[in-house]
Amino acid sequence: MKRLFVYLSFGLLLMLLQTTLLPQLLPRVLVPNLLLILLLYLALSEEFVNALLLTLLFGLLQDCFGSTVLGLYAVVHLVIFFMVRVMVTRLSAESPVLLLLLVAAGTLVQAFLVGACLTLFAEAGSVLGILLVTLPVQLFVNLLGAIFLLSGLLYLQPQFGARSGMAGLPHQSRRHGA
Amino acid sequence: MGEFFKRHRIAILAVVLLFLSLLLYSYNLRHKGTTTLFEQTVLTITTPLQRGVDGFVKEVGQLWMNYLWLIDTRQENLRLRDEMAQLRARLSAEKEISLENQRLRRLLDFSEDFHHTVLPARVIAEDISSWARTIVLNKGTAAGLREGLPVVAAEGVVGRIIKVAPNSARVLLITDASSAVAALVQRTRTRGVARGAGDHLSLDYASRQAALKLDDLLITSGMGGVFPKGLVVGRIGLIEQGRFGLFQRVDLIPAADFSRLEEVLVLLEDQQ
Repeated sequence: MKRLFVYLSFGLLLMLLQTTLLPQLLPRVLVPNLLLILLLYLALSEEFVNALLLTLLFGLLQDCFGSTVLGLYAVVHLVIFFMVRVMVTRLSAESPVLLLLLVAAGTLVQAFLVGACLTLFAEAGSVLGILLVTLPVQLFVNLLGAIFLLSGLLYLQPQFGARSGMAGLPHQSRRHGA
Repeated sequence: MGEFFKRHRIAILAVVLLFLSLLLYSYNLRHKGTTTLFEQTVLTITTPLQRGVDGFVKEVGQLWMNYLWLIDTRQENLRLRDEMAQLRARLSAEKEISLENQRLRRLLDFSEDFHHTVLPARVIAEDISSWARTIVLNKGTAAGLREGLPVVAAEGVVGRIIKVAPNSARVLLITDASSAVAALVQRTRTRGVARGAGDHLSLDYASRQAALKLDDLLITSGMGGVFPKGLVVGRIGLIEQGRFGLFQRVDLIPAADFSRLEEVLVLLEDQQ
């Protein structure tokens, strides 16, 4: 329960950063999707039920912060979550670059799913064009954001003596058999 | 049967959750115009936080800009920009009134006049996604706002309110892909639909025969039922006429600068 609360607070903090602080410091296109990085990290390292609950909740919260229709990001995040969970059993979770690769793949999959949902179900006009134009830059800034967050975690790990539960880092948790 | 559910519980859970999420999405697609209790709660809880962060950032930014960095130049620049935007808005409004008067004289005793009650509001947050174009205002139902109200700036149309909580409201900008505004070219009176395309707009259904020019001003036509007639939407930035087709391709540069939007006006009511 405490972990859920910590993750939820951290997710809210990232959303606030993305909606208030970063847009004032950076052009819109250079704002990384920090919530997607957190979602991928959760899918990779958290227990199934906790991660699933948080994924759904973050999806609904992202709908409140950024989509015009409630439920869009809930669907998209759930699909990404299940894809990561299926893939993660076939990948080496101890590789430090795994999270970065997942962020790259996640950005592409998210753009595709959002575009597909809006095109198929909603009258979204030229949303595909907008997504395609911003995708390369979004991919780049998301990777930068992931590197920044990972570096922060690596720095914080020794400070708090916690070396477990960090997916994609050299010291892996019991969840990944380390 | 029990064994089957036990073995495939993850897959079943995945399918059920996805199905439920799709149902939620589908339901909300059909009820776009309303704000759900969940959305209202989230907006209510997060608005003070957004307002706090926004205020803090603006205070720090102002401190830096005003006291440490070209104090007089910056303030004068801001004042002149503001003045220029107001003069531009007044000029285009007067031009529109003058054209309207000419038409009205031709149509004898027809007269039309409207007054709006406006409510100033501050932008406190932007959209979390890179593709959607929405902003959050610091006023909500407590100040008399509701879904569907038009939002404008001194330079022109900004958007319309799509979600509203007691102390905040989300505005769909006219540059969002799902936004469409009934508009007309001020000079030629050519009608069309100004549709959002990210950072600019495109004018759909502009007749091929219409002699449009670059820099022509577009105003709201008042046909969509959301925006009153005569508000500036933008200027023509690109015109392309293919060899075939009924319409020409027209791209618009929005009048409002969405990257610098800080204060806006919400048009509260329309008294004919």
